[in-house]
Amino acid sequence: MTITKQNFKKINDFLWEIPKSFRQDMKVPARVYVSEKMLEEVFRDESIPQLINGATLPGIQKYAIAMPDMHEGYSVPIGFVGAIKIPDGIISPGATGFDINCGMKLLKSNYSEKEIRPHLDKLATEIQKEVPSGLGRGRQIKLSIGEIDKILEGGTKRLVEQGYGEKEDIENCEAGGRLDWADASAVSSYAKNRGRDQVGTLGSGNHFLEVQKVAEIFDEKIANAFGLFKDQIVIMIHTGSRGLGHQVCTDYLRTMIPAMQRYGIKVPDREFACVPFNSPEGQRYFSAMASAANYAWANRQMIAYFIRKAWKSVLGEKTSPLTVLYDVAHNIIKKEKYLIDGKETEVAVHRKGATRAFPPGHPEIPEKYQSVGQPVLIPGSMGTASYVLVGTKEGEAAFFSTCHGAGRTMSRHEAMRRVSGQEVVKELEDKGIIVKCWSSRGIAEEAPIAYKDIDEVVQVVHNAGLSKKVAKLIPLAVIKGE
Amino acid sequence: MKKFEILEHVSDLKIRAFGRTKEELFLNMLFGMSENLKPETKDGEKTKREIKIKSNELSTLLVDFLSEVLYLSQVNKEAYFEINFKKFSETEIEAELFGQKVERFNEDIKAVTYHKLELKQKEDGFWEAIVLFDI
Repeated sequence: MTITKQNFKKINDFLWEIPKSFRQDMKVPARVYVSEKMLEEVFRDESIPQLINGATLPGIQKYAIAMPDMHEGYSVPIGFVGAIKIPDGIISPGATGFDINCGMKLLKSNYSEKEIRPHLDKLATEIQKEVPSGLGRGRQIKLSIGEIDKILEGGTKRLVEQGYGEKEDIENCEAGGRLDWADASAVSSYAKNRGRDQVGTLGSGNHFLEVQKVAEIFDEKIANAFGLFKDQIVIMIHTGSRGLGHQVCTDYLRTMIPAMQRYGIKVPDREFACVPFNSPEGQRYFSAMASAANYAWANRQMIAYFIRKAWKSVLGEKTSPLTVLYDVAHNIIKKEKYLIDGKETEVAVHRKGATRAFPPGHPEIPEKYQSVGQPVLIPGSMGTASYVLVGTKEGEAAFFSTCHGAGRTMSRHEAMRRVSGQEVVKELEDKGIIVKCWSSRGIAEEAPIAYKDIDEVVQVVHNAGLSKKVAKLIPLAVIKGE
Repeated sequence: MKKFEILEHVSDLKIRAFGRTKEELFLNMLFGMSENLKPETKDGEKTKREIKIKSNELSTLLVDFLSEVLYLSQVNKEAYFEINFKKFSETEIEAELFGQKVERFNEDIKAVTYHKLELKQKEDGFWEAIVLFDI
């Protein structure tokens, strides 16, 4: 069935709905947070049919939601939020994706651009040397399976205990960097093997490190509470659970696709691979997913440790340290409670390319952010701006979720046909951005032309009230691992 | 005959592979995946791995086979371009994989998906499959 703009009901300037009546198997309406201009563009790929498929999931509550950075994925689109009732509903590895707990961490310095500028090139070089991609050369540490098990169940906490971070790093992390229902025995030996040499590795694709400066402050009071100031140097980390998380998803899809048939669950795409939340398979996956999420937090923690090492080696042992603003996932399933039809209801919120954004006063955010709300970290495409936002009360309409980045609009091949890696590097250098990558191969794939405009995406979630702009960050150095 | 081709996809890697036989189809899809890991191989170091895969049907067997090879590639830092099938049925494969040690991969394939998986024998008897890889 062809879907057009006419099938959407306008809820407000930034929210559009396809009613439940559109397709017989929909259990809830499908809602997209976009401007009218962006709505014209969502039909270029399969995002909307995939979102409608998401609206058919057993147990889904209120709406299947897509964020303005949505693009086609598998099962649901990237940019999806679905809250599924516990215990009657399902859990779906496909609806959270392979890169479990892909997410962001932001480190703050006490320095301004002016103070760091003379050291910038050296700093970028040193960071690149310290943080490997994990795909080739670079640091090779192979942990034992026993150590991997401890990381799977301990997350950030395990690393901090071993001296790879500060107590505050735990506090300034979603869930304290550890989901306590993780169970290492739910993770296969294949997944653990893939993870043995990848703690502290960046990966490839859109994963990156950036030295950035705070270019603009939108809300002084909240920026102040976050410890952000104009021209401040910050460092952004974007990566996830690497091969370990990918393997966890692969393993569970394999067992859950046949299990889905046994449970008589019918969904439009087998990649959903969903089973009842409370089934043995569902519970085991939920524990394995939590373990992979803990691994991802440990991975970002280790990268932060390497960056701090580089920071000290360039600026001196006595330099003021890098502190963590926050660390937050954008691919994860969490149990949360919402008021639905007047009743407090526990749901498994599936976020796939969507960032949790809790409001002020929410018990799950650090005490120091209680009065303002949770910091939300939104990366732009390579070389473009990134944002720090804050969670709001109005965000409840989207189960306290917001966008996760710019969102692709062009295939990697198309991007490579249009520009070369050298051209992209040159364009960034012309803007005064230092690029540290071991080769320009792969850089063209991530060219800004392949992505939506991050400023527009963020403006939509800001105007829709899902999260509010606090600060705009612009890159000074882009670093891809060696 | 073309071994495989890349189809347009906004964010992931979609490969259509061809084969005169099912075995050749599996091999050509393996080529497609291995080539897209963009390996820089080390000279001289040849390796051999044994695999055994079971699945519910031929199409999922292809995905599960590729997932196994991807796992071996990443854990052993090897790229595979040759295969000797010792057993090949609709639901089961036993084979030897031949490859080379890799200096680095220039692309990370996260996983092989079952999304819109297609595998068919065409009227001319040739085989064709489409697989989406998450990258």
